[in-house]
Formats: sequence, C-alpha cells, structure tokens
Amino acid sequence: MWKFIVRRLLIALPQILLLSVLVFLMAQMMPGDALSGLIDPNIDPAAIEAQRERLGLNDPWHIQYVDWITGVVTEGDLGRSFRYKMDVTEIIGQRLVNTFWLSLVTLIFTYLIAIPLGITSGRYNDTFRDQMITGYTYVGFATPLFIFALVALWILGFQFGWFPTGGSVSPGLTPGTFEYFLSRLHHLILPALSMALITTVNTVQYLRSEIIDTKQKDFIITARAKGASESRVYNRHILRNSLLPIAAFFGFEITGLIGGTIFVETIYSYPGMGQLFIESINLRDYSVVIAVVLLLGIASILGALLSDIILSLVDPRIRIK
Amino acid sequence: MKKSSLAKLLFAMMLILLLALVGCGSEDEDTQGEQNDQGQEEDTNGGDEDDAEDDGIYSIDDFSPVKTNEGEAIDGGTITFGLVSDTPFEGTLNHNFYSGNPDVQVIDWFSESLLAVDENYAYTQEGAATFEVNEEEQSITFTIRDNVNWHDGEPVTAEDWLFAHEVIGDPDYDGPRYGQTFTSIEGMEEYHAGEADTISGMEVIDEKTLKITYANFTPSLLSSGIWTYPLAKHIFEDIPVADMSSSDAVRREPIGFGPFIVESIVPGESVTYVKNEDYWRGEPTLDGLTLIVVNENVVVQSLQNGTVDLVNSFPTDQYPENADMSNVEFLGDIDNTYTYIGFKLGSWDAENNRVDMDPDAKMADVELRRAMWYAVDNATVGERFYNGLRWNATTLIPPSHPDFHDDTIEAPLYDPERANEILDAAGYEDVTGDGFREDPDGNELVINFASMSGGDTAEPLARYYIQSWEAVGLNVQLLDGRLIEFNSFYDRVGQRGEDDPAIDIYQAAWGVGSDVDPSGLYGPNAIFNFPRYESEGNDELLARGLSEEAFDHAYRQEVYSEWQEFMVEEIPVFPTVYRAILVPVNNRVVNYNIPTNAGSEIYRYQIGVTQEEPYTN
Repeated sequence: MWKFIVRRLLIALPQILLLSVLVFLMAQMMPGDALSGLIDPNIDPAAIEAQRERLGLNDPWHIQYVDWITGVVTEGDLGRSFRYKMDVTEIIGQRLVNTFWLSLVTLIFTYLIAIPLGITSGRYNDTFRDQMITGYTYVGFATPLFIFALVALWILGFQFGWFPTGGSVSPGLTPGTFEYFLSRLHHLILPALSMALITTVNTVQYLRSEIIDTKQKDFIITARAKGASESRVYNRHILRNSLLPIAAFFGFEITGLIGGTIFVETIYSYPGMGQLFIESINLRDYSVVIAVVLLLGIASILGALLSDIILSLVDPRIRIK
Repeated sequence: MKKSSLAKLLFAMMLILLLALVGCGSEDEDTQGEQNDQGQEEDTNGGDEDDAEDDGIYSIDDFSPVKTNEGEAIDGGTITFGLVSDTPFEGTLNHNFYSGNPDVQVIDWFSESLLAVDENYAYTQEGAATFEVNEEEQSITFTIRDNVNWHDGEPVTAEDWLFAHEVIGDPDYDGPRYGQTFTSIEGMEEYHAGEADTISGMEVIDEKTLKITYANFTPSLLSSGIWTYPLAKHIFEDIPVADMSSSDAVRREPIGFGPFIVESIVPGESVTYVKNEDYWRGEPTLDGLTLIVVNENVVVQSLQNGTVDLVNSFPTDQYPENADMSNVEFLGDIDNTYTYIGFKLGSWDAENNRVDMDPDAKMADVELRRAMWYAVDNATVGERFYNGLRWNATTLIPPSHPDFHDDTIEAPLYDPERANEILDAAGYEDVTGDGFREDPDGNELVINFASMSGGDTAEPLARYYIQSWEAVGLNVQLLDGRLIEFNSFYDRVGQRGEDDPAIDIYQAAWGVGSDVDPSGLYGPNAIFNFPRYESEGNDELLARGLSEEAFDHAYRQEVYSEWQEFMVEEIPVFPTVYRAILVPVNNRVVNYNIPTNAGSEIYRYQIGVTQEEPYTN
C-alpha cells in the first residue's frame, strides 16, 4: 500500500504544477488588476502606475509566473496579498483556522443528524417515520442554504437571542482563556447547525437507499437464517456495508473542510476561506487567489487519496496494489 | 396501483416546486456576489431596489446630519459601532498605509488628522495643530499643540510629521498615498527618486513646529492638499519601510493620538477601544466602544435589538421599509458623489500623457449631447428607483460642498419636445424611415452605451435611459448587449489609457475629493478625464481656480461657479443624480454627528449615552 501512496503522490506533483500554471494564466486573463479598484481623484494615477511597475504587474505572464514559482519552491513564499499588505501564508493561516473549526463542527453535526436518521429511515422504510424523514430531506434539498441560514439567524439569533449574530468570537476576550474558547464555540454553533441541517440531507438519503439495498441482499438472508438477532443483523451486517459509500465520501469532505462556504460566512460575518476566496477574486488580489486555488487543488488530490485508503481499510474486498 | 400513481404525481409536483424555488434563489445570489466593495470607487447603482408600489418618497431635507439629544449623558458607558460590510476589514490600521474604506472606519476612532476642516473642507485652526501661511515664501508653518500625545504618552512631534512624509516618499513605500499632495513640496521628487537624503522643503523648527515650503503653491493646498497624518517615529524608526504596513505596529497594536485607544482586535471582524484619558481635546465621555463588522443583510435586525447602536452607513434601499423604526433616529447627509453619463470625445495619448480630443468623434456635436440630456428624466429616476434618496443633479460640483455648488445654474431638465427640436435643428433626421434618426450626413447613427453591472437597479436603469433616448429617435444600444463587470468597465472606459473605441457613452460615478478643484477629473492631463475632453475655456477656468487670486474665497467661488456653468454648456458629461447617505443612531446616543458632515463642532470624544442599555424596538 505504501508503494501505492508514494506513486499517487508522485503523480500528484505534475498535476499540481499544471494546476498552478492554469490558475496563474486564468488569473491573468481576468479584466483589471489589484489596482483597478483605486480609481479615486484623491489618488494620483501616476502613483498607481508606479505601484504597478513595482509589483511587476506590467511584466508578461511567464516572467511573473517564473518569479512566483521560484519564490514558492525556494522559500515557500506564496507572495504578498496586495489588499491585506501581509504575507499570503499568514492571511490564509488566519482564515484557515476559522474555517477549519466551523467545518469540523458542521461535519460533526452532519453525521450526528445523518446517521440516526438514515438508519431509522432505511430500517423502517415506507413507514410513517420514514416518510417524515424523507419529507425532511426533500425540504432540505429544496431550501437554498443562504435563505435557511438567514432565517435561522433571524429566529434563533435575533428573535430568541440564544446565539450571537455575527463574528467568530466576542470582542475583547484574551485568546487562550477558557472564556475565549466558550465564546468561539458559542459563535460556531448557529452557523454550523444551519449548514449541517441542509447539507446532511444528502447523507441521509445515501444511507437510506444503501440500507434498503443491502437488507435485500442474499448474505443478509443467510445471516437471518443462521439465527442472528435483528439488532446484530442491522448493526454488524447491514450498517457496516452501508457505510462504505459514506466513508468513501469522507475523503472529499476534507476539501470542504478547508474550502469554507461563502454563504454562511457572509451571512454570519464569519471571516473564513470562502469569503477570502471570493473577495480576492473580486478585488483581483492574484497572489491570494492563486494560493487558495492551489491549496484547494492539493486538498482534493489528497482527499481522493485518503478516500481510497479509508475504503481499503473498511472494505477488505478492495485491495490496493 | 392507484395509490402509487398518486404518490408519483405528488412527487413530480414536488420536483417542479423545488426547481422553481432553486431558480429564484440562485438569481438572488448572482447579484449579491457582484456587490463587491472596491476601494473608493462608486459603482453606479450600488444595490438599490426599485420600489414598485412607490408608496413613499423621501427628501434629504427632512434629515439632519446631527443627532437630536434625548436627555442627559451619563458618565461613562460604552457603545457598539457597526461597520456595514460584506467582507472583513483588511486590518491596515494606520492612516499612512491604509488603502480603502473598511479600514478607515476603524482608524478614525483612534487616530485623526492634525488639522480640522470647515464645512467646505478648508483647513481651520481648530485641530490638533495650527498653521500660518506665508504666501511670499510659499510656505506654511505648522504648530502642533503641546498637549497632543501618542497613546503611549510620547508627544506627537514635528519630527513624526516629517517622518510620515519621508516614509510615504520612500521608493519602498507600498501604499497609494504618494501623489500631488507630496510632489508639490519642494525637494520631494528628488527625495522620491533617491537623489536626495532629505526633503529640502521640509524643516523641523523645534519639537512642535514644522515648516513646509511648496514648489507648487495653490489654494488647493489649504483644502486637503496637505498630508496631516504623522507617523510615530519612536515606534516605526527601526522597521524597514517595505515591512511597515505588515508590521505589528500597524496590524496588532495600532497607535494614534485620537480619543480612543485600541484595546484588542479580532482580525477582520471586531475591535474594542477604551477611552484615551489624555486626549488633547479633553477626556472622552464614553468609557469605550466596540466596533463589529455587520453584514448588510442583518443591519436592520442588529439595530432593532440593540446589537449595534449606530452604523457607518445604512443601505438606503432598505430605508423605506424601516423608516418607522422607533428606537433609532435616522441622520442624513448629502454624499460627495454624483452619478453621470459621459460622452467619449477622444482618446488618451499615452506618449504625451494627455487627452487627445477627436473633432470627428461620434459624440462630438454638443447639440446631440444636449438633446440627450433633455431626453432623460432624472427627477423621476430618483423618485422611482431610489425613493427620493437620490435626486436630479445639475452641476459637476455636488451640494456636499455648499459654498461651491451653484444651485442657481439652470441645467437641462426633462423636456423631450425640446430634445426633438434640438435634434431637428442640428440636422439629425430620420431619412431612412426606420424610426431612428441618422446623423446630419445621412449616415446611420448607433450609439454604444456602456454601463456597469451590480445591484438590482443597474439593468432597469440602463434600459430606462435607452428607452428615453429611443423616444427622441436616437438608436442607443447597450455595449455588447449586456452590462459590464466593474473591473472591465473601467479598463475599457480608459483607467489605464487604453480606451475601447467601441464605447460612445457610458454611465459611471465619481466621489469628489475634499478639495473642490476638478483638474484631476477634467483637466487635459488627467487620465481620469474619461470623456477625453479639453477646451481652452476649461483650461483657463481650471487654472484660475488654482491661481494666486483664488486664495480669496469669494473669487474662487466665482471661478468654480463659472466652471459649473461652462460644463453645463459644453456637456462632456452630464450629472444624473446626487445621493444621500443615511446613518441610523440609537436614541440613547448623544452628541453624534455624521462624520461626512464636515465642519460641525461636534467631536467623537463628546459622544455619550443617556442609559447603559440601548433602546430596542
């Protein structure tokens, strides 16, 4: 298996390189640059042009690319964000932490909701319980996330006042204290929950159809014939097999973990990766755009690899050579 | 069997419903994504909404820029200031390095200009420094008051002020501030080019006195022509210029000499301040304040339940529905921007760095331009699209500069008859009989109109203008048949000098600076002169506005009044609407004044509250 992993990683390298060239080219093709937003009669156009020259924005793309890639390879330097006037690694670091915690809590909520619902729904399919659950999943499919997030914010945040209505932490707390940690958690719950309630419906549906499918398989009949108890049949035979596709999917969730979600982050004023990505595209902050795309690209390549590994661990039938 | 087909039917109906819902939803999202915040630039149609019912028309005259005090202020208390933005603030927290709007809202609470301004943005002696002009020597001598100290107790010195100039003039400086303000100082360009070690025009006389000599001494200097933000030398001295903007002294522990001191920062989302007991105007009334970023979607709810006491700006399209919010008072002021329609009259000559006017341009005939102004009804645009919170504009100096805006000038008002007459007289007649006029030579006349995307009104507004022109027989087409995204719009209109020849007319907006001088927008050497217009009359008036005589206020007023009149005659562009800014403030807050309302005698240190908790709705 190690051979497999190494081989996959080796294939990934040229993929990432190609990705970086493509992203760089596309960023260049966007109209405008980081300085086009500075049209202001109070700012001297000559100063803007001087900045362009200084930042190398007037060079042809391959020169810019070579400059950039040498920086990345030799010093691990992803460049500097024009807008934030700080290193790209630092700004991404700040946002990544926020997004990571938000996604982690969301993921936990998602599985906390999905697994019991999916199992109930699959085990007792076509009963009243199942209909309620599938009813919920349809509503979930039909509801756009950003509307649901706004409604949740309005009801739970503003009407009941149970949760803070924006930000990642209350202002004025010292990082590292227990109070700070609690405040962060408190700020996380509402965005995570509103996201989980919507995104979980996929997993519920997956699990449900997988269980219904599995329970009609021959080996289940065999298990029953052997006299295995109903709970043993479900917990050991059906559930394990039904979780396979979800486990396979888990690797890809990693990408989601760092990708962030623009809607939820915007509505809850939560500074995360999704927002950073969109705003840097809008403001033509190339160095950030490229770094984020690369990061996501690497994450999805690694995520796919991780999925394969998880699969091989949970499903002995799959052997990676 | 029957039961299952019924279930199938139900399922199918659910599917259709679902599609409909998702369809509506994603459309909303598209427009939201485009409302980005781009520095100082104004997008023409910033997120306003067409109010079809037309139930309420408001007028800026009904709003006061100053908060009515309801009761006595208590000692201390804290307020929460909402920074309305859909992106986190960048965190470049120093006047010398910041580039855009979200940051300056954070900075203004803890740092301020050394010089105060009056309602026309001219410098006064009321600020942290006073000044004396010596016209003969072309110099100004500034004296910083003795009790002006940095937050760490060190005095703000002339040396600090000089240091700010040295840093911004340094070739390694990475902010956008180096420009006219600096180049007009004697010796600045040599310093910037690295030919001199010091700026010869700047002289520190003693600890608190600084003398600046100007190579280019104009009346503009005295309104916003001076860099009035010192940089704490004792802190920044050891940091290389290129690293200053990313240093902790800018990002984590910013320093100023304003009424409040930054206590803690959560990057991009909130800042807490405590009062600066040593503030030079006096101890602030409040104990402190908290600034948080609030998304535009939840501003109203945050105000209603008291999460925020006041915000930096309120989306005016949400005003009609919330005009009766009982726990806040809406303050209003005239924004220093105007929206306009520009006519392309030439191109940019990059070699000589000046405009190159083309006498044969499609829009070169002033009568055609005048007719197009008469053909549009901007008063109705303001009422129907913006509930009266934007209104018909007349001249190119908005009423936010009360002494310079001349409201006696009669600019063309909606009169389609008149437009038709002008076009007939100028020889634009419909020869081919297709319903559209041809140009005087009988050639087909198609005018390409470039307009920016963004906001719900962008599209209907552009369509409205096109229809209005069609009504007088002009064939105006949207460039490429669609609205253009912000960045490519300004690229094609010519912000880098590469004008797209396909554009004949365009709609854009300008925020005018604090100085009234319009050379930066309409001068022959200004790249922002997008119409690429020049004329002797214009050059002369612009020069007179900056001449020595113009140090006399009345004379300057007269010159700019003439210039406004002249532009109404020449019409390289015509203004369409002026706009209002609204700021809701909780009833408990006293002594508050919209910051754009220059020249009021109410300062931030005086802000107080009448009770501990905010009023809720």
